[in-house]
Amino acid sequence: MGTFIQLVVDGLAMGSVYGAIALAIVLVNQSTGMINFAQGGMAVLSAYLAFTFLGLGLPLIVAILLSVAASFIIGALIERFLMRRFMGRAEDTQVVVTVGLLTLLTGICGWLWSYNNLQFPSLFPSSAFTFLGAAISWRSFGTFLAIAGIMVLLQLLFRQTKLGLALRAVADNRQSASFAGLPVGRLLMVGWGLAAALGAVAGALVAPRLSLTPGMLDTTLVYALAAVILGGITSPVGVVVAAWLIGVLENLAAVYVPIIGHDLKIAVPFILLFVVLLLRPQGLFGRKTVVRV
Amino acid sequence: MILKKKVLSAVAMGAVAAMALSGCGRSDGGGSDGGGDGGGAAASPGITDEAITLGVTTPLSGGTAGPGTCTVAGLAAYMGAANEAGGIEFGDGKTRTVEIEAFDDTYDPQKALSNFQQNQGDVFAFTSGLGTPTNRAYREAAIDSEVPQVLVQTGDPIFSDQTESPWQLGFVPIYQNEGEAFGELLAGSDGDLTVAILSQNDDYGEGYVEGFKEAISGSENIEIVSELTYEATDTSVDAQLTELAGTDADVFFNAMSITPLVISSIEKSRELGWSPSWFLPSNTSSPVAILEPAAADAEDGFYSVSFAKAPQSPAFAEDEDVVTFLENLEQYAAEYTTTPDFPHCMWSYMVGATLEEAFKNMTEPTRENFMEALRSIEDLQAPLMLEGTSVNTTEDGQPAVSTVVVQKYNGQGYETAESFD
Repeated sequence: MGTFIQLVVDGLAMGSVYGAIALAIVLVNQSTGMINFAQGGMAVLSAYLAFTFLGLGLPLIVAILLSVAASFIIGALIERFLMRRFMGRAEDTQVVVTVGLLTLLTGICGWLWSYNNLQFPSLFPSSAFTFLGAAISWRSFGTFLAIAGIMVLLQLLFRQTKLGLALRAVADNRQSASFAGLPVGRLLMVGWGLAAALGAVAGALVAPRLSLTPGMLDTTLVYALAAVILGGITSPVGVVVAAWLIGVLENLAAVYVPIIGHDLKIAVPFILLFVVLLLRPQGLFGRKTVVRV
Repeated sequence: MILKKKVLSAVAMGAVAAMALSGCGRSDGGGSDGGGDGGGAAASPGITDEAITLGVTTPLSGGTAGPGTCTVAGLAAYMGAANEAGGIEFGDGKTRTVEIEAFDDTYDPQKALSNFQQNQGDVFAFTSGLGTPTNRAYREAAIDSEVPQVLVQTGDPIFSDQTESPWQLGFVPIYQNEGEAFGELLAGSDGDLTVAILSQNDDYGEGYVEGFKEAISGSENIEIVSELTYEATDTSVDAQLTELAGTDADVFFNAMSITPLVISSIEKSRELGWSPSWFLPSNTSSPVAILEPAAADAEDGFYSVSFAKAPQSPAFAEDEDVVTFLENLEQYAAEYTTTPDFPHCMWSYMVGATLEEAFKNMTEPTRENFMEALRSIEDLQAPLMLEGTSVNTTEDGQPAVSTVVVQKYNGQGYETAESFD
């Protein structure tokens, strides 16, 4: 029983890491209508910025907040000067641009900060406490709470605020939004900026665990995309729950299903993904898109 | 629009220039016109009467860049000092300087192969490069073109098999050597011990486990209670550790090559309240890069194997080899690294010494003659080598260094462990 609880706790901790990136992907999608494959790369860049501020002697929390602010600006600039040029082109083109951006950002990080593993300090103490026989590290617990908090905030942003409504309107139908008097360009920049800022938080939360390298989030991105599809891209709560589910299920399958074991556990989220896509294409928590003809 | 075109053409020009620089333009061997009048045989590419060029294809970027950079740094430090002293006097009586060209393969086999193909015309021999898949990627090409690929830093036994790899020689002990050394230490201990094993699901992990099991087979006092694997691409091994911690084994044999995973393993097992004695492979046991960031408690007992003096260890702080090594690194390898955070820095320094020994015995400026000279080194005590280890290239099936010493972490560095406690 102790092992079982521990595996669930470990899964939730790892799932929170996947969820952090998944939330940023949802944010961009809900405010611009596209999938940003560079989200992980942007989060890594933000983590490096925080690391650099830290190196200047600033306290960790200040360094992270500064990097969040800087990331907001960088995100907005990327939208304005890069993504905007591909607006209105085929969606495939835009996706490929973000993939290119991912490669570029990884290269830039490696060039500026080297590919060595850097130790990024954690906001939370490295000690652990015991709950129901399971050891829980304050780091994992802190990340878990932070992700849950951000998830609630995002849900509120999109459902309860005017800004959220405007962002969704722009993503849904740019032309109509523009006719309705919304500042479409600025809203797109805000969407990207917010996602980048969220990515910065995510980067700072997971860097101590994964140790900071330019490719830190490459594998995480794959899991995050699975969580996004599984949970339904329209629902922040959905993707986080899906991310937790993936983390927990993959751990349990590895230990309790001998045929899967630790070697095949990466297949678990994807098998789950196929099943969900077949039965419920909009994701577990997503809304069906209805088009009137 | 005009501006756009200009930018485009600038990019295109840049690309063409880069291609020309990176080797498409160099087809004929730079050295073929140089030497040759000495011994009668025509000189091989990459060697003249004044200089010899060595190539290193190794990861200088990407996840393995830390150790990869070290595989050039030590060699550059050694040869830099040798060049500064006037060069190396070869067996043919000519004194040559040694040029090192490093090619980044990012641990990508395809890139390693193209590094080899593009540069074999200018490079006399490839050496010191790190990585099993990358070295394997151009092994056959090197045999076909009869280009030496020697003293490479991989524990894969194939490189030291003379029938299969006539133009190759591994430098570092094969994985089995390392696992075996630790197994022997355990087998020789008095008490009953339980062992939990976690290994990378490839030749690397399997080699370690194989050597370890061989050494403990027949020992009544050692029992393996659990054995799990992980994938090199995994971002977390928490689930494995939770499962292994459940056995509460006395010894944790962790055949893992991924730095962040080793750090998180140490942290995770501490959280779980499991404090076994650890075995870590030589390439992932660095105090500075792994044990200190993970706040490893020396009380638990962290064992690894080595054949190199650790510059970080207080025991070697005053050591003459270490002092010279650090000075040379600072002076000649600054473009790579000046802090030997990974043992590969020391290993590639020894590669330098081994190559020098081979050069001294080379009577003709040819690759064939070099291979002969290289394969006849016996008991060379290269600088930085620990007592009890040496370079020996005469035994088929064994790499240049096949002896290792088990060491224990003392909170700052490693010291030789006589027994397991």
